[in-house]
Amino acid sequence: MSIAKTAKKGVTYYNPKKAYNGYTLFSTYNHDVWLIDMDGYCVNRWKLPYTPGAHQVLLPNGNLLFAGMYKSHKELGLPVEMAGIGGVFIEIDWESTLVWKKIVPLQNHDITPRDNGNILYATYHTDGILPEEIARKLKGGLPNTEFNGKIYGDSIYEINREGKIVWKWKAYEHLDPEIDNMCDLENRVLWPYINSIFICKDQNILASLRVVSEVIKIDYRTGKVIGRYGKGKISHQHDSSELDNGNILLFDNGSHRCEYKPNYSRVVEICPDTDEIVWEYKSDNPSDFYSPVCGGCERMPNGNTVICDSWQGRIFEVTHDGELVWEFINPFVGSIVGMNTTMMWRAHRYPPDYPGLKGKDLNPDNLYWENYFYGPKSMNKDFRPAIF
Amino acid sequence: MGFARTSIKGVTIYDSRKAYRGLTIYTPVEGNEVLLIDMRGNIVNKWKMKYKAGYNGELLPNGRLLYTGKIDNGPLKDLEGAGGIIIEVDWNGKVLWEYRDKNLHHGFYRMKNGNTLVHEWVRMPEEIVMEIKPDYTMDTNNQVIWSEAIQEITPNGKVIWEWIAHEHKELIKSYRCLLCPYDTWLHANGCSELPSGNILVSFAKINTVAIIDKKSKDIKWSWGSPGELAHQHSPSMLESGNILIFDNGYHPFGMAQNYSRVLEIDPKSNKMVWSYEGPMDGDMKMYFYSSIYSNCQRLPNGNTLICEGTSGRIFEITKDGEIIWEYVHYLDQKDKIGSRSFPVYSAYRYGMDYSGLKNKIEN
Repeated sequence: MSIAKTAKKGVTYYNPKKAYNGYTLFSTYNHDVWLIDMDGYCVNRWKLPYTPGAHQVLLPNGNLLFAGMYKSHKELGLPVEMAGIGGVFIEIDWESTLVWKKIVPLQNHDITPRDNGNILYATYHTDGILPEEIARKLKGGLPNTEFNGKIYGDSIYEINREGKIVWKWKAYEHLDPEIDNMCDLENRVLWPYINSIFICKDQNILASLRVVSEVIKIDYRTGKVIGRYGKGKISHQHDSSELDNGNILLFDNGSHRCEYKPNYSRVVEICPDTDEIVWEYKSDNPSDFYSPVCGGCERMPNGNTVICDSWQGRIFEVTHDGELVWEFINPFVGSIVGMNTTMMWRAHRYPPDYPGLKGKDLNPDNLYWENYFYGPKSMNKDFRPAIF
Repeated sequence: MGFARTSIKGVTIYDSRKAYRGLTIYTPVEGNEVLLIDMRGNIVNKWKMKYKAGYNGELLPNGRLLYTGKIDNGPLKDLEGAGGIIIEVDWNGKVLWEYRDKNLHHGFYRMKNGNTLVHEWVRMPEEIVMEIKPDYTMDTNNQVIWSEAIQEITPNGKVIWEWIAHEHKELIKSYRCLLCPYDTWLHANGCSELPSGNILVSFAKINTVAIIDKKSKDIKWSWGSPGELAHQHSPSMLESGNILIFDNGYHPFGMAQNYSRVLEIDPKSNKMVWSYEGPMDGDMKMYFYSSIYSNCQRLPNGNTLICEGTSGRIFEITKDGEIIWEYVHYLDQKDKIGSRSFPVYSAYRYGMDYSGLKNKIEN
């Protein structure tokens, strides 16, 4: 894939008859979160004091909830494998005025708010470091690659808005180091590497375990693992969520699959009762859609799926039959672990009647210069990405 | 990696002052064609072959095309890189020579003496299966683990020299990819004859490039294992004696992030003396990746031609990594903007003075 003259940016394709109309939210690895309309006009831009750790959501009250990178790997003295590091939660209003802020050391990846304002998140807290006995039993991973002799473990915390931890779940207390084994080619630095958290209708929690290549359901009351999905079928997945029909939708990255074929990613829908894949999307040339890290997917009310191809900085929407109906290429270059990138973590699509958009001024003219440079009228010419 | 709707195909960059002028031959993965294009992407010749592309096509110094075909009913047709037939045709596609063997796979090398080096899958004896993988069970999918042989074939189709991988203890003991299925063991994917007569070969599943002594059959040199390389392709020796390698970056060690690299290694010191790791001095690594296929070729002016196979992108860079020529494969005009990409096995550039082009083209 070449970046210079061969790739167009912004909205490159839009079929209004088939796409699910709405506004798309995403963050880039500079200090911005963007909301764009279907034509690719920027309708809001939040400027933040931190680069995104990973995730951001538009709350029903119209504020933006954002996990920022409070300290980098270097400052924390952690290996790069422990990715998605955030560490600070910020809620800001439409005009980027601070509403709430909380330092949550070693928070990573997803930010999962509840209706009551509580937030669930994964953390690399040292509390979760594997006891020696479990570390010894843990199968998989490259030998002798522990971090200073230790294997970090993930925990899930729930905090209220006062910052009090109201619920705690430590992975090593509930997973089986032999059944929930690590991918053989990963460094034994972190297990099970929780990269997404979703609250199901029954209040139980769906968590994606990257280096185990498995999604689990956690009983919220007891903490017990009551479901295991996708093992042997998916690889290093992200963003597992429960659909209205009860199935699980996830982004199957496909890195470190146990096969020797061109790498590809896909989005799959798994029936939890049978653990079978009942729907999938992959690209015509499978290599065209591949994101070894990050990635997101979201099912729309009309049955379409909005997919964030993070690695290539691409958000696109497909119908149930896999037809592409909308595509956006990120024109904004940011920087992560010392590398320039147009990658992004995850995108969300909000319909015009979403409560959080009520009363908001969505006129693109408010962002004249942003749209002058990055709006649909200036895109798709001979365009080189630049740091904005 | 190409975008679905956004990529522009054909020649997208051409700096005629810096590029090495010549014709480029390439073999698409899907189909049964080999194309020869000029610097502006015009098709100079197109060979329609009787067999689907098994791996690559090269223009020999005598002006003929040598091509790996894939036989439809081959017993190993589902294995990656399966071939079965090597065909030599003239400029107009008339078949002049062919060599069949159902276990042939990947590429070939036409030697100075007119013989051909080929890759062959051979059954691994059971006692060696037990040695490399004691827990191996002969389940329904994997009846056999295929070991490797390299053979030298005369124009009459006689095998006059053979090297068998599982006779070498160091290969049996070597790290082997923990994730790849055991249908093939080492997965050799290319070989060539060095000026010394020895043989340079790449084994993808053990992340190793090796030099085999032609006389003693010993492995004289090897590099890349366990985790330096990741399922590389197309090693070639440069005039300096250094070795140029396309390191795909498939099933890499540690964190599953994939990047491809083109590396120049000094085999005396095993040090990397040059590399290309994506645009902007490797600052945007993620924009250069091909999990499989692919090759690289050092050109006489010091530039390097790179085929990023899975996205069908062939490009030429200067020593500083500046892209000065780029071509993306497409099938017809409607594919030129948007649509999917079409993978390519390999590409080679021939200067206008190449003997194989003599009397073939007007300027």
